[in-house]
Amino acid sequence: MKPTESETGTEEEFSFGTTQSDVEVTTADRLRNFYREFIYKPGLVAWEDNRTRIGATILAVYVFIGTVGTWFYRAPTTNQSERSIQPFQTMEAPLGTTSSGEDVLAMAIHATPEMLIMILSGGIFATGLAVLIGTVAGYKGGTTDRILTTFSDVAMSIPGLPLIMVLAVVVSPERAVVIGILITINYWAGLARSIRSQVLTIREHSYVEASRTMGVSTPRILIKDVIPNIMPYVLVNFANAARYVVFASVGLYYLGILPTSVANWGIQLDNAYSQAGALSGGGTMYQLVVPMIAIMFLALGLILLAQGMDRVFNPRVRTRLAGESRGEAEDDEDNAAPTEVMT
Amino acid sequence: MNNYYLKRTGRAVLTLWVTVTVTFGLIRAIPGGPLEMLRARLVRQGVDPSRIDAIIQSRQEESQPIYVEYYEYMSSLLSGNLGESFYFREPVSNIITDALPWTVFVMVTATIILFAIAIVWGAIIAYKEGSTFDTVSSGLSILMSSIPFYVLGILFVVVFSYRFGVFPARYRTSPGVTASLSIPFVGNVLYHAALPIASIVITQVGLQTLAMRGNSIQVLGEDFVRVARLRGLPDRRIAVRYVGRNAILPMYTGFLTLIGFNLGGSVILEEIFTYTGIGYYMFEALINRDYPLMMGIFLVITTALVLSVYIADLTYGLVDPRVKSGDSSEAY
Amino acid sequence: MAIDQTTEEQVYSTDDPIVTIRDSAVTYDEGKSYVLDHVSLDLERGEILGIVGESGSGKSMLASSLLDAIPSPGRLTGEITYRPDGEEPINVLELDKDERRSLRWEDISMVFQGAMNSFNPTMDLRTHFEETLQAHDADIEAGIERAEELLEDLYLEPNRVLDSYPHELSGGMQQRALIALSLVLEPDVLVMDEPTAALDLLMQRSILMLLSNLQEKYNLTMVFITHDLPLVAALADRMAIMYAFRLVEIGETRDIVENAAHPYTRALLNSTPNLDAPLSEMQPIEGQSPAPINMPSGCAYHPRCPLATEECRTTVPDYHNVDTEHGSACYHWEESYDEVPLVYENSLDGTTGGENQ
Repeated sequence: MKPTESETGTEEEFSFGTTQSDVEVTTADRLRNFYREFIYKPGLVAWEDNRTRIGATILAVYVFIGTVGTWFYRAPTTNQSERSIQPFQTMEAPLGTTSSGEDVLAMAIHATPEMLIMILSGGIFATGLAVLIGTVAGYKGGTTDRILTTFSDVAMSIPGLPLIMVLAVVVSPERAVVIGILITINYWAGLARSIRSQVLTIREHSYVEASRTMGVSTPRILIKDVIPNIMPYVLVNFANAARYVVFASVGLYYLGILPTSVANWGIQLDNAYSQAGALSGGGTMYQLVVPMIAIMFLALGLILLAQGMDRVFNPRVRTRLAGESRGEAEDDEDNAAPTEVMT
Repeated sequence: MNNYYLKRTGRAVLTLWVTVTVTFGLIRAIPGGPLEMLRARLVRQGVDPSRIDAIIQSRQEESQPIYVEYYEYMSSLLSGNLGESFYFREPVSNIITDALPWTVFVMVTATIILFAIAIVWGAIIAYKEGSTFDTVSSGLSILMSSIPFYVLGILFVVVFSYRFGVFPARYRTSPGVTASLSIPFVGNVLYHAALPIASIVITQVGLQTLAMRGNSIQVLGEDFVRVARLRGLPDRRIAVRYVGRNAILPMYTGFLTLIGFNLGGSVILEEIFTYTGIGYYMFEALINRDYPLMMGIFLVITTALVLSVYIADLTYGLVDPRVKSGDSSEAY
Repeated sequence: MAIDQTTEEQVYSTDDPIVTIRDSAVTYDEGKSYVLDHVSLDLERGEILGIVGESGSGKSMLASSLLDAIPSPGRLTGEITYRPDGEEPINVLELDKDERRSLRWEDISMVFQGAMNSFNPTMDLRTHFEETLQAHDADIEAGIERAEELLEDLYLEPNRVLDSYPHELSGGMQQRALIALSLVLEPDVLVMDEPTAALDLLMQRSILMLLSNLQEKYNLTMVFITHDLPLVAALADRMAIMYAFRLVEIGETRDIVENAAHPYTRALLNSTPNLDAPLSEMQPIEGQSPAPINMPSGCAYHPRCPLATEECRTTVPDYHNVDTEHGSACYHWEESYDEVPLVYENSLDGTTGGENQ
């Protein structure tokens, strides 16, 4: 994550003559370097991890269902089949139907696209705003920093879920994009705060200082030097924000606060749960289980992805795997040797 | 040092002020505004239509400039007057006073239990890093965190209440049980709170366990732990004073903010369990468009979150000596 | 690939050793590769021994092995014997848990590199001292008095330091407090692993001076491990040079500095930043030191050595006697004087810098 140009303290020894030739670098080299350092290598390390692989696969399945699947499988309507069919009875409605004759599987499948759009819009809004506010506050400092930090602090202290609920009642949003943004209306704040503190350390790095002395404009420095450094962290938090959007939106739909014109697993849950109470038995259990599984696997995919990518931040593990970035392990001279042996 | 406390206090007050102002603005942004709400309410009460028009008319005439309304809104809030609930026909403050302790009881208990489990479990996993126990525990933690608490809540009600009837499906206590400090009463309260608490604990303990595991592994790799071992300190002392303490510290703020966060989540949880705490009333208010009650509870939950962050900030210095003299280092 | 060094025993053995190390080796992969490759060395009672090596040369392993404190899952083999004055010798590697606990810190103590991380950040220093005394069933009151005296010896205000948390002290103060903590149980041997690495030059020199005072006052035997050859030359009585997990040259400090007989030591002297030397005369060593998994055959230095011959590539050299107590593990040590000339004249007086300011 951190560039290894600083050979500090104990490293500055006899062999210092060997690594000092990379003074002149062209722009293309720099770009290639950034790609290698900040996308390819972290990606490789993250991919090494089974969690990332499983998480990415799960997400791919959802995207497939949400795009291709909705073309191939019929949309849910009332009375499209016999009412209250139990699952695995007929190929017509493999996971059964509701008491109003809607295909349960169709309901689950056709709720996916909207959910994916919500995840995307919420994730992009939350991380985008957080990166913008966090980097500007951390890099600019002074009054700008104070104002933005106070703004984030206040936004962070307002409880998310109740705020969203009140807003949802007042605004009654219909479009998935708007709902995604609404749900992350103050989720960005905490992320902005931690990005700010990371930027504070990055701005002290010599290459950023060099750009500054050379008169490179602030937006350019932010985009070329600062943001690539926090990219892995932002990606992890994109996945976390996405999970939050899933949990919160399904919860809101379940409560019936959001308009029910759109298909959503939360609405399925609500219907099935109220019937379960009325029937006082497990007869409608399958109607509960289908949306539950849909929610849990999506959340599982996102958690696994976040956990796997988080590994990129653990320099200890990353060094062990990537091997070459040894310069980071500055304080454990000889102890670094065994870790290498263990690979 | 004083500057630090002053800043924190300023921030807490500012947040509350912003929240109050936002709610004030929201009430006015509601389609139709307060007058339409009044009309709807009067219609529901069966008041004669011509009288309603007259009332609305008179209200419109006596409507004041917005800053005067704002001032009155603020001053009535400060005197503890949150208005009257349309739906329950009761002062909002009465409803909250009755409901809040129950929600706080459930959420604080749940959060304490889940942190206790997470700390012990996470530390044990960290000591056995790389073992099968580690793999299984970490996998289990991730699996548990991928369940939203309300999904587990629904499942609990359907299975334990409807199917097997071993736990109650609704209410804070059984009907007819009177509040007292007797064992039957306390037992009854715990009996009703068990499923809500369990659904919070089970779905949230995973991520905290993983956090504790990560912290502990990091601390275990620190030089001071190695030196402590060389100095011959007993393993117990190293586990508690060295690893435990330094690994728990970063989670302290998370603990208090999670309580605040869960108070917000109570809206969904208490709807599922028909547990009449503030979350349940918030749900009723949302569904019935009962704005005074909605805004009142929103303010109370916000105040609770702001207070817990504020307490976390103020007390962090007591648990971490590094902050006592430090000025810029913050709890999160 | 153990090296038979027994025939050259007089090179590393001393008259009255307090610790003897024989064929000490550390492996992390069941003997496929070594991060400490069968090292033998004596520690003379009351001396200061300097061990010099690059990063990753195995010098910290050597230090840790003295206390049988190799980070897990490393395996330490060989023979390490501690010979307390007038008592039965103790085989360090065959102690049970309790015996090892009382050997560490009570007999042989250690100061790690990076004092900044050696204290528990959430505990004040007094507690560090007290818990150490308590863990070894020592008299706490007397121990604290001794700690206060030690801190004073190290030019610290005892009460202020004891009541401080680690973060309230500067790096130099923490390092000195750590030295006091390591001496609180009156050990005979103090092993220091890069104790001054993170400190500025001035603080390094003053700690060195304090150390030699302490050594005299408490009659300590010290092992000082560093990458900084000139620094330790000012302090040590004898020096041992490590390269690629083996010792390549042992001798009295004066012999090593003025009459180095191993091409690596000579290159080291040429590359070492010396305050007196003009920058243009400093010569970095070409190439890199090997990792344990791909150790060169024969003499590990041969890929970088201008004198390397076929013999060097196949067989690990034994010590060759340069002088009675000065040995060099090089077949061509005599040629090294001419082939690797020193760029500036070394003398102990020139390299010290530790002249008691």
